[in-house]
Amino acid sequence: MITQEKYRSKAKKLLADGSVKMVIGYSPGSTADRRRPLFVRSFEEADQLVLDSNCIANLSGYLVTEGLLSDEKRVAIFLRPEGIRSLNILAAESQLNVDQIIIFGFDSIGREVSSLSGEHAGEFSELISSIKENPPEKSSEPLLYQIEQMNPQERFAFWKEEFSRCIKCYACRQSCPMCYCRRCIVDSNQPQWVNTSSHTLGNFEWNIVRAFHLAGRCVGCGNCDRSCPVNIPLRLINARMAAEVLESFDHFAGMSTTQEPVLASFKKEDSETFIL
Amino acid sequence: MAKIGVFICHCGENIASKVDCTKLAAAIGEHPGVAVSVEYKYFCSEPGQESVKKAIRDNNLTGVIIAACSPRMHEATFRKVCAEAGLNPYLCEIANIREQCSWVHNDNDMATEKAMDITRSMIEKVKRNNKLQPIEVPVTRRALVIGGGVAGIQAALDIANAGQEVVLVEREPSLGGHMAQLSETFPTLDCSQCILTPRMVEVAQHPKIRLLTYAEVEHVDGFIGNFKVKIRMKSRYVNRDVCTGCGDCMVKCPVKKISSEFDCGLGKRTAIYTPFAQSVPNIPVIDKASCIYFKNGKCKTCMKSCQINAINFDMQDEFIDLDIGAIVVATGFQIQNTAGYGEYGYGKYPDVITGLQFERLATASGPTSGKILRPSDGKEPETVVFIQCAGSRDPSKGVRYCSKICCMYTAKHAMLYAHKVHHGKSHVFYMDIRAAGKGYDEFTRRTIEEDDASYVRGRVSKVWLENGKLMVRGVDTLLGRPVTIPADMVVLATAMVPQPNAKEFAKTIGIAYDEYGYYNEAHLKLRPVESSSAGVFLAGACQSPKDIPDSIAQASASASKVLALFSKETLEREPVVASTNEATCAGCWGCVLACPYNAIEQKDILDRSGRIIKRVASVNPGLCQGCGTCVTFCRSNSIDLAGFTEKQIFAEVMAL
Ligand SMILES: Cc1cc2nc3c(=O)[nH]c(=O)nc-3n(C[C@H](O)[C@H](O)[C@H](O)COP(=O)(O)OP(=O)(O)OC[C@H]3O[C@@H](n4cnc5c(N)ncnc54)[C@H](O)[C@@H]3O)c2cc1C
Ligand code: SF4
Ligand code: SF4
Ligand code: SF4
Ligand code: SF4
Repeated sequence: MITQEKYRSKAKKLLADGSVKMVIGYSPGSTADRRRPLFVRSFEEADQLVLDSNCIANLSGYLVTEGLLSDEKRVAIFLRPEGIRSLNILAAESQLNVDQIIIFGFDSIGREVSSLSGEHAGEFSELISSIKENPPEKSSEPLLYQIEQMNPQERFAFWKEEFSRCIKCYACRQSCPMCYCRRCIVDSNQPQWVNTSSHTLGNFEWNIVRAFHLAGRCVGCGNCDRSCPVNIPLRLINARMAAEVLESFDHFAGMSTTQEPVLASFKKEDSETFIL
Repeated sequence: MAKIGVFICHCGENIASKVDCTKLAAAIGEHPGVAVSVEYKYFCSEPGQESVKKAIRDNNLTGVIIAACSPRMHEATFRKVCAEAGLNPYLCEIANIREQCSWVHNDNDMATEKAMDITRSMIEKVKRNNKLQPIEVPVTRRALVIGGGVAGIQAALDIANAGQEVVLVEREPSLGGHMAQLSETFPTLDCSQCILTPRMVEVAQHPKIRLLTYAEVEHVDGFIGNFKVKIRMKSRYVNRDVCTGCGDCMVKCPVKKISSEFDCGLGKRTAIYTPFAQSVPNIPVIDKASCIYFKNGKCKTCMKSCQINAINFDMQDEFIDLDIGAIVVATGFQIQNTAGYGEYGYGKYPDVITGLQFERLATASGPTSGKILRPSDGKEPETVVFIQCAGSRDPSKGVRYCSKICCMYTAKHAMLYAHKVHHGKSHVFYMDIRAAGKGYDEFTRRTIEEDDASYVRGRVSKVWLENGKLMVRGVDTLLGRPVTIPADMVVLATAMVPQPNAKEFAKTIGIAYDEYGYYNEAHLKLRPVESSSAGVFLAGACQSPKDIPDSIAQASASASKVLALFSKETLEREPVVASTNEATCAGCWGCVLACPYNAIEQKDILDRSGRIIKRVASVNPGLCQGCGTCVTFCRSNSIDLAGFTEKQIFAEVMAL
C-alpha cells in the first residue's frame, strides 16, 4: 500500500509538471486477483493506479506501440526486474530511446510489494547482476526439472502433447515484449516457412521458431505463458533456451541497454576459424 | 511456362558407375516443366558444351540444370555456356550428383534415387531463379604487399615491373625476412645474401614501389578493388628522409650487449641498430626498450654523433591511409620454440642449436664470419648430430604436419659442415627423407655419398652432457638397436610454424586460416593463391611451409592475379548480394552487427517534408559478399539473398 501511494503521488507529480505524457501501470481487472494495464494520461486518472502482488504482467511491450514514443516525450512505466531487463533489450535492439522512459520499479515477495530504487534503466545494473548470479532454486520450477530428467523421446512426447492444444491464436506473441516485429515470420507467406494450420507439424514449427527467436532475449516474465488460452507451459521452453545461452556464451538477457544480441555478435577471440 | 533443360553428365565413370544415368534422365524427363532431359559422357568437353548450347537455342529453354560435379568445379563454365547461347547465366544451376552422391555411396539403386532427388530439387529452384546482372565496381590500381620476405619482394617486383603501383609494408626495420638470415641455399648452394640483396635494393629504388619498413597494417576495410587500409609507421626515432646510413650512431651507442634477433642470439647489437649490415633501407631504428635515454632520460650519445641531426627522440608513430585495389599477404613463418622439448636440451646446453642458428654460423657475414664454432667455447665441433623433425610430424608435442624444408636444409647443413670442417663427422637422425623437388633427391644423396654424412633412421629420445660431450641417445630403427653418439654440437631441425600473431592478423585483413594459423587458400587445388576473401592473395610460407622456389612461384602467381585484376578499370562481381525489405525491417540492427563484411548500413526513411519516419537496414551491394549470415539472423525474414532467395530455397527443400 505504501509503495502504491508513493508511486501514485509520483505519477501525479510527473503528469502535473508535464515531465511525462503518460504513466503505464495497472488497474483492477475482471476478477479480484487480476490486474489490467492502465494508461494514465492525466493527473486525475492517477488515482486509479493499483500496485500489489497481483501486478505481474510485464508492461514493457506497450512502449513499442507504433508511434507512442515518436514525439520524443517521456513516459513512466511500472516494471518488475524482468520488465526492466526487457526494457534494456528493447533499447539495445534500437526499438526505443531509454532516455524517454521513467521506471517505477517494484518487486514482491508473497503479498509484500516493495519499490526498487532508481528510475533510469542504467540504475538497475547491480540488481540485474545479482539476479544473474543468484538464479532461482530449481525447486521453484518443478515441471522444468521433471522435463529435464526425461529422455529425448519422452520429452518429445511431452511437448507433442502440449503443442497439440495450440490453436495458433498468437496470444503468446502478442503479449511478448520481444515479439515487436513489424511482420512476424508466421505472417510471411512468400514462402510460408511456418505452417499456419494447427496440426502437429505447424504447431511444432511455430512454437520452436518462436523459442529460437527468443534465445538470448527472453527474460522470463511469463507473459506468453499466462496469455496462452490452452495453458501450454511456454515459459519452460524459453527458460531452457535462456539456460543454454547463459551456459554457452555467458549471456544473460537484458543486462544493459548496450548489450549485443547473442546470436549476432562475434568476438575475435571466438574459437571458430570461420569467424573472420 | 517453365522449359527446363536437364543435362546429366556421366563424368566418365565417376558418376555413371554408381548412378544409372539413363534411368535418371528418363525419370527427370517426366518432371513437370522439364523440356529436355539428356545424358552424355562429358558435358564439360567441347562437344558437350556445344550440345547444351544447341538444346538451349532449339528449345528456347528458360532454365538449365547440369547434373554433374560440384559447382565449384564447373558452375562458371556452364554459366558461360548459357550466356553464349543467349540465356541469362544465372538461370543455370548445378545439381551436384558426384561429390554429394556417386562418390559417397556404394548402393547403385539408392545412389540413383538420391541423384533424382538432388536433380528435382534443383529443378524446382531454377524455376524460381531470377535473371541477375553482374555488379560493376571500380578498381583502384594500387597493390598492397604485406611482408617483405622473399615472397613479398618477388610479388612487389612482378607487379611493379608490369607498371602498376605497389605499397610494400614490412614490420621489421629491414626487408629480407628469413632468407636474409640464410647462408647458402639448397639445392644449388647459392649464397642467400648474394641473390637476395640485389632484389631488396631493386625494391627500394623502384619508382613504382613505395616501401614502408618498420610499419604495420592497422586496419583493412572495403572489398576487392576498393580496400581502405590504415598503416602505422612505427617511430624509428631516426628521420628516414635525411639519414644517410653512415652508421656513426651505432658505433657510438654505449649499449652494445643486446642479443641480436637477426643472429638468433649468437651475436650482439647496439640499442640504435640496423638488423644486418646490408639492411634495406639502411636506416637504423632505436630499440626503445634497451635505449638508456628512454630508460632514464640521459644519454643521447647517438644524437650527438649524428652529423646531420637525423635523430629525434620525440618522434611519434604516424598513420597513413591508403586506397588499395588488391592485397598480397606474404607474412611468412617463424620457427617453433623448441623449449617444449626438454629431452633435446635446447636452452640448457648452449651447443644445442636450431637450424636457423646454424645458418647464422655458416654465413660469411654472420657472427663467426662463416666458421662453424660452438657457441659455448668457440671451438670447432668435431662431431655434429642433426635431429630432423624436431617438432614436425609430432602430434603429441609439436605440430602434426611436415615442415617440408627441414630434410633439405639439414642435408645442406651437413654438406656445409663437411665443406668447412674437413675432418668433421656428421650424423643425421631422420624419420623419412622427403626430398621431392627438382634436384632435391640428388642433393640429399650427395650429402650422404660425397660428404659422408651418416644418416640414422630413428628418433632421438634424450640428449645429455657427459665429460664435455653432448650424448645423443636415439634408436636406429633399421638395425633395430639403440645408439648413443657423443657429439660436440647438436642441431635441431625445428618445425616451421605460422607467425605468432597470424590468426589475429588474419582477422584484421579478413581472411580464413587453418587450425595452426596458416592462411587458407580458396581451393586447395584450383585456387591455391587466392585467399577466402576476393582481392586478397597469398604468397610464401604464410600459407604453408615452403622453400624459396615455392615461395617465389606462388608470389609470381599472386602477382599475375593482381595484374589480371588491374587489367580493367572496373570489375564484375557476382550479383549474389543481400537486400532488405524496408517495409518489414524492424530496425533491430542485428544484421548490421552480424555481417562479417560491414556491408549493412542504417538508412532513414523520410516523409515528404524530410522527417524521419523510420530507420531500416540497407545492404551496400558493393560490400556484400553474399555470405547469407544476415539472412539467417533476421527474425522477421526481412532480408533475402539474390540467387538464393527464400522462395528458391523453400522450393528446393519442398521438392525433396
Ligand atoms: C633454417 C632454415 C633454412 C632454410 N634454408 C633454405 C634453403 O636453403 N633453400 C630454400 O629454398 N629455403 C630455405 N628455407 C626456407 C625459406 O626461409 C623460406 O622459404 C622463405 O624464407 C619464405 O619466405 P617468405 O617471404 O614467405 O617468409 P619470410 O621469410 O618469413 O618473410 C616474411 C616477412 O614478412 C614480415 N611480416 C610478418 N608479419 C608481418 C606483418 N603483419 N606486417 C608486415 N610484415 C610482416 C616479416 O617480418 C618477414 O620479413 C630455410 C628455412 C629455415 C628455417
Ligand atoms: S498462445 Fe498458446 S495457443 Fe496461442 S499461439 Fe501461442 S502457444 Fe499457441
Ligand atoms: S515469433 Fe519471431 S518473428 Fe514472430 S514476432 Fe516473435 S520474434 Fe518476431
Ligand atoms: S535483422 Fe531484420 S529486422 Fe533486424 S534490422 Fe536487420 S533486416 Fe531489419
Ligand atoms: S549476405 Fe548479409 S551478412 Fe553476408 S555480406 Fe551480404 S549483407 Fe553481410
